[in-house]
Formats: sequence, structure tokens, C-alpha cells
Amino acid sequence: MSPSLAAVLGLVFMAALSLGAGLFARRFSRTTSDFMVAARAVSPRINAAAISGEYLSAASFLGVAGLVMQFGYDVLWYPVGYAAGYLLLLLFVAGPLRRFGAYTIPDFAEGRFDSPRFRHLAVVLVLVIGFFYALPQMKAAGLTVQTASGLPYWVGVVAVAVVVVTAVTGGGMRGITLVQSIQFAAKIFAISLPAFLLLLRFGGPATPFAPAPGDLVRLPSATTYQVSAGELWQVPRRTTMEVRGSVLVTWSPGDPVRSPGSVTAEVGSSPSPTSTAPVPGQRALLLRGRVSVPGGTLVWRQTAEVTLARGQPAPYGSATPASTNGSWSRPFGPLAGGSGHPLLFTYSLILAIVLGTIGLPHILVRFYTNPDARAARRTALLVLVLLGAFYLWPPVFGALGRALDPSLYGNNRTDAVVLVLPSLLGGWVGQLLLAVVSAGAFAAFTSTLSGLLVSLAGALGLDVYGRWLRPGAGAQRRRVAFQISAVGSGALAAGLGLLVGQFDISVLVGWAFAIAASSFFPLLVLGIWWPRLTTLGAALGVALGGGLATVAIITTMLATVSSPLERFLAQASGLAVILEQPAILTVPLAFGVMILTSLARPGPPPGVAAKLVQLHAPELLGLRSDYIPE
Amino acid sequence: MASSSAPPWASEVGLGGDQAPGRTRPASSGLREFSEQTEVGGVFLQALMRRQLRLSLTIALAFGAFLGVQPLLSAVWSPWTSWRLFGVPVTWLVLGVGSYPLLIWLGRHYVRRAEEVDEEFTDLLR
Repeated sequence: MSPSLAAVLGLVFMAALSLGAGLFARRFSRTTSDFMVAARAVSPRINAAAISGEYLSAASFLGVAGLVMQFGYDVLWYPVGYAAGYLLLLLFVAGPLRRFGAYTIPDFAEGRFDSPRFRHLAVVLVLVIGFFYALPQMKAAGLTVQTASGLPYWVGVVAVAVVVVTAVTGGGMRGITLVQSIQFAAKIFAISLPAFLLLLRFGGPATPFAPAPGDLVRLPSATTYQVSAGELWQVPRRTTMEVRGSVLVTWSPGDPVRSPGSVTAEVGSSPSPTSTAPVPGQRALLLRGRVSVPGGTLVWRQTAEVTLARGQPAPYGSATPASTNGSWSRPFGPLAGGSGHPLLFTYSLILAIVLGTIGLPHILVRFYTNPDARAARRTALLVLVLLGAFYLWPPVFGALGRALDPSLYGNNRTDAVVLVLPSLLGGWVGQLLLAVVSAGAFAAFTSTLSGLLVSLAGALGLDVYGRWLRPGAGAQRRRVAFQISAVGSGALAAGLGLLVGQFDISVLVGWAFAIAASSFFPLLVLGIWWPRLTTLGAALGVALGGGLATVAIITTMLATVSSPLERFLAQASGLAVILEQPAILTVPLAFGVMILTSLARPGPPPGVAAKLVQLHAPELLGLRSDYIPE
Repeated sequence: MASSSAPPWASEVGLGGDQAPGRTRPASSGLREFSEQTEVGGVFLQALMRRQLRLSLTIALAFGAFLGVQPLLSAVWSPWTSWRLFGVPVTWLVLGVGSYPLLIWLGRHYVRRAEEVDEEFTDLLR
């Protein structure tokens, strides 16, 4: 993929627009209330666009399409779950929380239970979830800038961090609201128009599901791959290749399509040339000129340039398990089926995504920018409409990518499918759309990062500094602390973002959701609807659920770098599924701990009746008083 | 919205429809009970919460069933995974397209009902 001037222009345009709007709004941000909740005077329409703008992250804009291209049907749970999470938010949380009038989840934790210590626990979890969620955005930033301009990965990460930090420290919530509503418009336009035109041009939505010889993905045109030493290819069937010069490879027999699990296990460990265990049937070969390679696994030992003719089966790199069209398009394909426990995996994934939305720290802050509960509900409904209109499209990109540019499989670049496909339309249309999707992608990760940064900086600056370290600090000093924290969090997220290049964007996001679903979701639902919840029960549930989910996910991440751990998990596949998708265990656990502890040692916090009145009494009664006064 | 008949929780809290004609209670007594969080006020609040929660749970379960049934159906009755409509698998259309109109419809229904419940409650107390 060659760099494109149009794409770079798209990026620069979006960056300038975001910075400009953020700085423009600075003139209107005077009070802390302006800064943190935009003075609670945002109309539902603008607010809904801003919420959707913030919610539609890089995972939605780039990641979902990439994952659909890799794994097919099973990935549709992601976009549907992201949208369904909003329904739950509307049903259980939006109205009452707005009435309660706290800014953040830690505010709620403290306000509902009158416990500053519980607040500290919530702050810690906000930081964990926030940073987990920031990583994939950073990865997307690096990837987008790399794809568009050919500059190194880190340039994108650093550039985005700078833009976002400037916007957040400059305009606060009021500026961000304006920027994010513009960014939503950019995103929905950027995803729907190119997808629609691609569908028109390349034979409609049935194209990826058309029958193919051998039920395999075939290259739609002659394709030249630049492979580097150590790169791995899964060759699904006998494939004819034209190798430039002569190249040393190791080839092992096997059927990557029929037994995707075994190949993935092999893929994980194969790049290390030190592995001494001989694979039966493995052979070192010297490929020269036009050769025919039988199905199996190929490791390139030297840099090479390889051309495959039109109609050859597309080779897969190490990131995607090879699949037939049949297994890709059916339920329990390579994603859920590869785990060995497809139903368990699927249900756990659904739970994490649907329930996690409510617990995402940067999503809830948004609802306090509504004037009242009625507006909060209407806003959430509008968000649902906007999300539905958006989420139709990423799977279209992913499915078309499989049919139109399967070379992304071999190059391990499925995450970039949205950024690559528009150029297939050719001519100035293709270039223009390339600029549009690049701008859309930029809007995606900057808007989500802005929201996250407000939450992270709020937690660090207003909580950690303003309450623990210097409880007596004045408003001005806390505002400065907020701005310094924003710079620090941005720098830290960028630093961590440089390390996560190997994980899929949507998988990283899924982990943040799993932790949120196991901690803040039960806290909010029971805290709002169950008067008998005690402080001890709530704290234990949050700590255990969130803690265990975090441990499970970190174990899965470590398994990719530690081979003994990886081998152990390969043996215990049930455990591996639970560790990778812990929500199905940790969400009920958190609920159970909260309920049982509260029943065993009853004694709800003092003044719970007043709290419930605040949460549930309709505004029409005129009893309203915000937990935090203006 | 002023309801012509007594709201459904009126009987739960022992007020409203079964009042003897001619016996009037002060218009704002309920509101005062409620804001002062007396025992009677607590009963009012519980009734409101129960109705709102029942509404939310019903809608959540409806969509949960729509989502939850699909993996199960695919596992126990795989023929439906081969169905096609205009060349696109029906499984993709149901999940990837059909979910969104359903979500929006359920959300709209909820917002209407929840506002009605709030308004009926306000009318009762005033």
C-alpha cells in the first residue's frame, strides 16, 4: 500500500478542525462546571452526536471491519453488543444517574454510599479501564498514519496524543462536546459513503458469499508480496508462486483450514528459530522461480518478493487463522470455534460487550451534560439511532475486504481494511474517499481519546491529587492539576500504545469492556435499584469482579510472550476461554458477592432513602438538588 | 399526562381509585410525605421504583432473548445457518442488520412508557 497525498490531507484537515474547534470553545469555558460537564446546558441532539462521536472509537471504525474480515460471522456480536449496551444504559442508568447529579463513577460511589474509601477504589478502576481502553485507540492512530503517509507507527501515536491533549486542556468538556459532535458527523459520513459506493461498484452485499473453487478465498488479481525473514504463511491448498531469485524456506505439512486450532498454536510459537522440537515432516526448501507449494505452513527464512497469479488461494499470515468461506460465514467459525468451547465463548463475549458499556468511565460522564433525566433518556435514545445507523457499515467493509483485497491476510494488515478498500474505486473518486476515511479514522480515535483523557485526568487531577495528596487545594490549583494530569495521561497512554502493536484493536477494547462489566456495571445497577446494598458488599463485589477480570486478561496477554504459560493454557482450553473472555464468570460473581454480603451483614448506608429519592423522583415534583451543586 | 383512571400502583399504596367520594385529601400531602421521607413516602417511592424496574427488565429481557437465542439456535439446529436471502446468509441479516431497528424500537417504547410512569406518579402526588 503506497502512501497517498489525499489520505494525508484528510488527516491534516481533521486534526486542524479538531484543534480549531477545541480552541474556539476555550473562550466559553470559564467555570469548573463548564469545564467538566459543559455547564449541563447541551441540547439532546448535540449531546447525542457528541456521545456517539465519543463512543464510536477506533475499535468501531477500524477494528470491527478488520475482525469481520478475519473471523466472519462471530464478530457481528461486537457491533451489535456495542449498540445493545446503550439500550441497557438507557433502561437502567441514564435517567437516575442524571438526577443524582454526580459527575463520575467515583462521585456516584462516594455519594451513594457516603464512603470516601470506596471512592478511592473506584478511582483505581477508572484508571485501569481508562488506560486499557486508550491502548487500542493509540494503536489505531499509529496504524492510520502509517497506512496513509508511510511514516513510522510512533509518529501517529505521538501526533494524536498531542492533538488530544491540546483539545482537552484547552477547552475541557465544553470544547470536547463541540469537537466530538463534529467528529461524529465525519465518522458516519466516512464509513457509510465509501461502503455504499463499494457495494454498488463490486456487485452488492452477496459478493463475499459467492461460491468459490475449493470454498477458499481466491486472489482477485495478480498480487506481489514483500515478505521479510521469519514471516509465516499458512498455505491453505497447493499454490503456485513466482519467487524472485532464490529463497530459503521451511515448510511443514498440515491443513491450516481443517484444523485452525493447531495452526494458531503453531503460529504463536513459530517465529522463534530457537525452538528445537522437530516438527514431523518439516523440510527446508530452496524456492526458485515458478514453484508449486503444497498446503501447509511456510516460514520464510529470507526476505523475498513473491507473486501469486489471479485465482490462486490467498495465503494467510500469522495473525489470522485460515478459513474456508463456509466456516468464515457461519456461526462458530475461526473465532468462537477455534476456542474449542464455541457456545461458552460466544455467550461470554456477548455479556462482556453488552454489559461493559455501562461501566465505561468516559461514557457516563456524558450524561451529566444533560439538563435533566428526561433529556438524558431522550439523548440515550438518539444515541441508539445514531449507533444503529453507523454499525451497519463496518461489517460491510470487513466482508467486502475478504472478497476484494485478501492480500491483507498474508500481510497481517486486516485492521487497515477500511483505509485500503476505497482506493479500489480508482481515479479521483478513490483518492477523495481515501481522504474521507482517513479523516474519519482520525476523528474516531481522537474523539474517544479525548473523552478518556477527561476521565483519566479527572481521576488523577481532581481525585488523586485534589483529594488524597492535597485535600485543601483550591479550585484554581485543581484545574491546573487536571491539565497537568491530562498531559501526563496522554504521554503515558502514548508510551503504552507503542507496545501493543501486535494485538487486534477490537480484542483490546473487548478487554476494557470485560473489566468494566465485572465491576462498575453491577455497582451501578444494584446501587440504583436495590436499597439494601451495603457499602461493604458493593466494595467487595467491585474489587473481586474487577480484580479477577483484570488478572485473567493480563494472564492472557502474558501467555503471548511466555511459552510455558501458553503451553499450559493450550492444554486446559476451558480455562483459556475463561481467561480470555472472563465476563461470563466474573459478572455473576460480582453480583453474587454484592448481594450475599449485603444480606449476610445487613445495614445499608445512612440516608439511603434520601439517596433513592434523588435517584428516582421525577423532576416534575421539583425536589431536585444536585449531589454536586453548581 | 393526566390519566383518567387511577394509576396501576394506586392500589398498591392504598390510595386513589378506592377512595370514598367526597373525602378529599390535601393536594400536596403525598408530596410532603415523599419529600420528608416518611414511611408512607417510602412506600410511594418503592412503588415507583418497582414499576420503572419492571418496565426496564421486560425490555432488557426481550432484547436479551433475541440475542441469546441465536447462538443456541445455530448450535442445535444448524440448517438455518445455510439459509440465504439475495445471496446473503440470513444469520448475518438477522444479527447484523435486524438488531438495530429492534433496538431503536425497544428504546423508543421504553422512553415513552418511562415518561408516562413518571408523569402518572407526579399526578398522584400533587
